[in-house]
Amino acid sequence: MTGAGRLLRFLLRRERRRLPWWLLGAALLVLVQSTQSQNLYGTAEDLARLRQTIGGNTAVIAMSGPPRLLDSIGGEVVFEIFAFVCIVVALMNMFLVGRHTRADEEAGRSELIRSARVGRDAPLAAALALAVLADLAAGVLLFAVTAGTGLPVAGSVLFGAAVAAVGMTFAALTAVAAQAFENARAVYGAVGLVLGAAYALRAAGDVGNGALSWLSPIGWGQRTYPYAGDRWWPLLLPLAVSGLLVLAAVALQHRRDFGAGLVPSRPGRATASPALRNVYGLAWRLQRGALLGWAAGLALLGAAYGSIGDTIEQYIADNPEIAEFLTGGAAQVVDSYLALTIRMSALIAAAYGVSSALRMRAEETSGRAEPILATATSRLAWLAAHLSVALAGSALALAAAGLGEGLAYGLTVSDAGQVPRLIGVALAYVPAVWLVVAVAVLAIGWLPRLAAVPAWLAVGYCAVVALFADSFDLPGWTQRASPFSHTPRVPLAVLTATPLLLLGACAAVLMALGYAGLRRRDVSF
Amino acid sequence: MTVSAEAAISITALTKSFGRTKALDALDLTVATGEVHGFLGPNGSGKTTTIRVLLGLLRADSGTVRMLGGDPWRDAVALHGRLAYVPGDVTLWPGITGGEVIDLLGRMRGGLNRQRRDELLERFDLDPRKKARTYSKGNRQKVALIAGLASDVELLLLDEPTSGLDPLMESVFQQCIAEVKQQGRTVLLSSHILAEVEALCDRVSIIRMGRTVESGTLGELRHLTRTSIAVETSSPLAGIEALPGVHDVLVEDHHARFDVDTAQLDAVMRRLAPLGVRSLTSTPPTLEEMFLRHYGDDRAADRTVTL
Repeated sequence: MTGAGRLLRFLLRRERRRLPWWLLGAALLVLVQSTQSQNLYGTAEDLARLRQTIGGNTAVIAMSGPPRLLDSIGGEVVFEIFAFVCIVVALMNMFLVGRHTRADEEAGRSELIRSARVGRDAPLAAALALAVLADLAAGVLLFAVTAGTGLPVAGSVLFGAAVAAVGMTFAALTAVAAQAFENARAVYGAVGLVLGAAYALRAAGDVGNGALSWLSPIGWGQRTYPYAGDRWWPLLLPLAVSGLLVLAAVALQHRRDFGAGLVPSRPGRATASPALRNVYGLAWRLQRGALLGWAAGLALLGAAYGSIGDTIEQYIADNPEIAEFLTGGAAQVVDSYLALTIRMSALIAAAYGVSSALRMRAEETSGRAEPILATATSRLAWLAAHLSVALAGSALALAAAGLGEGLAYGLTVSDAGQVPRLIGVALAYVPAVWLVVAVAVLAIGWLPRLAAVPAWLAVGYCAVVALFADSFDLPGWTQRASPFSHTPRVPLAVLTATPLLLLGACAAVLMALGYAGLRRRDVSF
Repeated sequence: MTVSAEAAISITALTKSFGRTKALDALDLTVATGEVHGFLGPNGSGKTTTIRVLLGLLRADSGTVRMLGGDPWRDAVALHGRLAYVPGDVTLWPGITGGEVIDLLGRMRGGLNRQRRDELLERFDLDPRKKARTYSKGNRQKVALIAGLASDVELLLLDEPTSGLDPLMESVFQQCIAEVKQQGRTVLLSSHILAEVEALCDRVSIIRMGRTVESGTLGELRHLTRTSIAVETSSPLAGIEALPGVHDVLVEDHHARFDVDTAQLDAVMRRLAPLGVRSLTSTPPTLEEMFLRHYGDDRAADRTVTL
């Protein structure tokens, strides 16, 4: 353990720019949920109505948590947001521990550290201590947000503690995975899988008799019932499991060689497949994993939206305030719900498109574009190859969102026609999404070093306008500046070709301008 | 030194700045077709920048650059089909195996000699089935080298290609370059390993702070530098230090050690002969000495130039 304290200070320094964003993100989720819930279901009658509509809806319960939480308004906040905050905090823990254990070991950085007067367990101890500090900070922050928005103090303390305890479980789990796998990617894959299983188990348990929820760290957290009974003892489970996992990680660390894992990495192909013959093959090979992940995520999100489509009508009738968010009013309530949710999915597809386009910059700055551009591959081909992933990929992601929503909604209303209908609706956003991607291309061509900033600002701007323009009465020009506002609100509105063609033309012009910039500048390193 | 019209590379007065840093300052470089040309210079002297300009990755500020009869910026793609490039610091895609990278780069250059590829894998003792993330620096370099050497190209641009290889692999590399030379292909070899340059290169260019300071065959360069002499004579060696071209003299009546400008060697020998030479050893300058003579005094200044 020699040197762990010094290492911890060093890790805090390395994380000083990244960690605050994770904490801020978690706090914002809860802040928005707490204020929104208290606005919508402020009175006891509102809450009772909600219990009636939601309490019997298995899809909502599967998505959120045990309905007992709906006993109080604070519990309603926990019901809606707890699982998602846990996912954010679990990912934060996974990256914190993974980055400073296996990723450092893989990159050769910890070799340098371990050659100094530093004990064998010091890097692991420092990474875990960092995660615990981050979890405590998250807990305090969530307490401040919930108590600050007027929820009872005792429940707020428990809420923060429960999220922190779930986070620690995933930190300890990552510590074990970091011993087992030889590369950081595999570590993240394994922990991500457990996280997905934890969410699925609690979903199945909450819908059923509750037994399966007790197999899930997220389930343990939810079963403390903050604001709805406040029981502390379920937190003993994540704490005990974390302790055992840490002991296992230390034991494994003492048994293995530096750089080695328990699961050896498999050899790959000795020769390239015919698909890997040019820069297009390379770009798709590099990005296929990320594309599958985003598409699967959007399909699941769509399914979650679609599954509550049929209860929406009833729900709106009971909660007329919600109708204000939906432009069509109560009359075409389902269609306007579908339009709103598809637009949310389209925003996420735009985020995917931008992250995919920015992959080009990562290739360039890491020096991996250099050997490619030193072959008979033009800059146009290089750009087109990566862009083909971003454009076709974002269209695919939109189709996946439509497919998920269409399937789930179609099942609840017994109408298979919803599948092609909602895929079509989602694809109406293709030109708008491509225009956002085109902004990223323009930035890569002319502002290579800062490219990520305008690209993500474009996504953020569209999100703010789409989510808040109606409720906050933003001036009209702010709406018109977002390509999403020019896409008809299908299926509520009638689809017209002109705005879509115009958006597509704008996207083409921006991409051409971006290429002009890329063609004349230095490849930067 | 004859510069024929069909020189593989000809650069005159090439200048390139990054912001306020001048990386290349009126650099000249000529590489004749079919020769192995050594490209020497300390870190940060502009070797990599020059090669990146040749690859059309960087745009020249001024000067003329011709390669294989074309303009490296304008005709980049056509020219890249006729050359192979091996970077000094090879970064690969972590999830792709070495064998896949070799095939991909070969195909993108317009074809790979499969038989030569397999033979090179054997000679460099590289396992092509491993994912790139598990390769050491030396193995990553082997991947890029094999991909370059297995392509049927006219010109090889090698940027410190052996900095991570062990002596055994270094000798394999030297054999490979000797074969490439026999096939009449052209090589620009930037290197820090002077023994390698002496063994392989027909001509050498030495650059410093973005400017060419010496260029020629090793023999020509030696002529411009000093030879070390240790001599014992029967008569006392007085007045040696006053001769033109003689430096760093250490005289002890009948014994003397000194360096002499190679151009003045003949004149000095004529002066020594009448003194009755009992023994004489002459050491020609090593590339190391030439190198150190050019950089030793300016190392501090060089450090300010990056990239």
